[in-house]
Amino acid sequence: MVAQLFANGLAMGSLYALSALGFGLIYNTTRVFHIAYGAVYTVSAYLLFALWTQYKIPLGIALIIASILTILLGILIDIHVYQPLLRQSSSFLIVMISSLAVYIITVNIIVLIFGNEIKVLRSGVATTFSLGQVILSDIQILQIVAFAFVFFTLVLSLKWTNFGKIIRAMRDNPDLLSLMGIDLQKVRWLIFGLGSLLAGLAAMLQALDVGIDPNIGMSAVLIAAVAVIIGGVGILEAPAFGGLLLGVLQSVVIWQASGRWQEAVTFALLILFLLFKPEGIFGQRRRLEEK
Amino acid sequence: MSYILHLLILLSIYSVLSLSLNLLVGYTGLFSFAHAAFYGIGAYITTLLMMKAGWGFFPALFIAILGAILLSLIVAIPSLRLKGDYFVLATLGFQTIIFYILYNWVGLTNGPYGIPGIPRPQFLGFGVDSIFAYSVFSILLSGICLLLLWRICESPFGRTLRAIRDDEIAASALGKNIYRFKVLAFVLSGAFASVPGALFASYMRYIDPTSFTLMETVFILSAVLIGGAGNIKGPIIGTVFVILLPEFLRFLHIPDTIAPNVRQILYGLFILILMRLRPQGLGGEYKLQ
Repeated sequence: MVAQLFANGLAMGSLYALSALGFGLIYNTTRVFHIAYGAVYTVSAYLLFALWTQYKIPLGIALIIASILTILLGILIDIHVYQPLLRQSSSFLIVMISSLAVYIITVNIIVLIFGNEIKVLRSGVATTFSLGQVILSDIQILQIVAFAFVFFTLVLSLKWTNFGKIIRAMRDNPDLLSLMGIDLQKVRWLIFGLGSLLAGLAAMLQALDVGIDPNIGMSAVLIAAVAVIIGGVGILEAPAFGGLLLGVLQSVVIWQASGRWQEAVTFALLILFLLFKPEGIFGQRRRLEEK
Repeated sequence: MSYILHLLILLSIYSVLSLSLNLLVGYTGLFSFAHAAFYGIGAYITTLLMMKAGWGFFPALFIAILGAILLSLIVAIPSLRLKGDYFVLATLGFQTIIFYILYNWVGLTNGPYGIPGIPRPQFLGFGVDSIFAYSVFSILLSGICLLLLWRICESPFGRTLRAIRDDEIAASALGKNIYRFKVLAFVLSGAFASVPGALFASYMRYIDPTSFTLMETVFILSAVLIGGAGNIKGPIIGTVFVILLPEFLRFLHIPDTIAPNVRQILYGLFILILMRLRPQGLGGEYKLQ
């Protein structure tokens, strides 16, 4: 029972961790509180629905096309919304409100096209596998595998590749990075593209698992933001742990109380962290002025 | 005629909501995402006291205001220790938690099924039953709130808040206790938000938690941002705008099924354009920092 609970939480947490890694990548490097990340998430899931379920394109090709369009959407939001604001040196609040506005516009367009109701992409009973006492569906296993693959690729490339070096430099000091002759524009494309790809991956896995509705993006981006903070702001790998922790915690809550308390518990955990450990699990305590 | 009265009641309810949020956003520079929670608490406490304890409207409203003050203290004291996006997230967290308490505590609030049959208030021995009487009642009560909010904003207290907004360090160098002023502003804002909650409940005669979600906070916030923060005129312009825009859309013959979405897209576009070109909104004086 406990093992099953843990496994369910792990599968759910893998999705949270994937989208939290993307949100954290963008937040930690560009300091944009990217609420429109939720819009990217929703759009990605609906793209898969349109391409695969409505136009009957084979799943593999549909996934690739949807991913490419998702990446483009993320980059376009940065180019047309955030960068003009940053050029007039707007405050983080203006950027955040604009991001919220982009979210509202996008999600309402989706409702106009697809309607408000829940869409199920795969009907019928999912294939399940049992490992000892634990039973997992095929898509749950795929979620865990996808997360593990992304996480280790990210950790290794952050540490060993040139790309990782640039991302870390962008986090620490963007001005210095541009002095080194690196085009910040391209770095931003890379960051927003990669972040959006991670959102899309999580969204499409969720779509294949439980189906979609126009509001999935909002709860995804809120959970991602909470995961980034409880993992520790400033550490690019930490959101993964925040996401996994939230997944396991939520699965315990579903077992002990009911699914209706899930989101409330997420935010209760956030508030506890903000009060007692604002630097997150892995963060180091810093003075307020340094932030 | 009753259509115009209905709009007047909505305008009076939302102008108090947006001006009380403006006390935080425009005067103190604090972005709270928990405003609909206080609005909801006002509605629920008033309703429950009127229906389960048989109280009159005004005693129930009095307790509701006290409840909102207590709740805003609970939210403000921890949240105000945080800054910037952390503060925003903490208030957003409280908003979500309070919504889920209203939604899940079925024994008390009847949860998602809502509470029907809320009585109309008695005022000076008369029942405020007709829509005309209710519009007068609502405008009177809101008018008192607006007057008080206006006095607060123009008082030395309001000036101190603006000083904190513009330069915290300078204000504290002049001997002002920043934290205490912020908590006080937060509590006042929450207390004023509970009054329109009571008005809304007894006007609609039915409430359920979905009227007090995060999206409701965003709606009130968009009234403040479109109109402009930091003075009295801005949020009022914004409220008139966001309440009357759907009515204009009705004249354009946009089908009812898609009208709410078209409306939200327009709000979003307006905010996006204003944030880029005119961050102080249509009539405000405070540029967000």
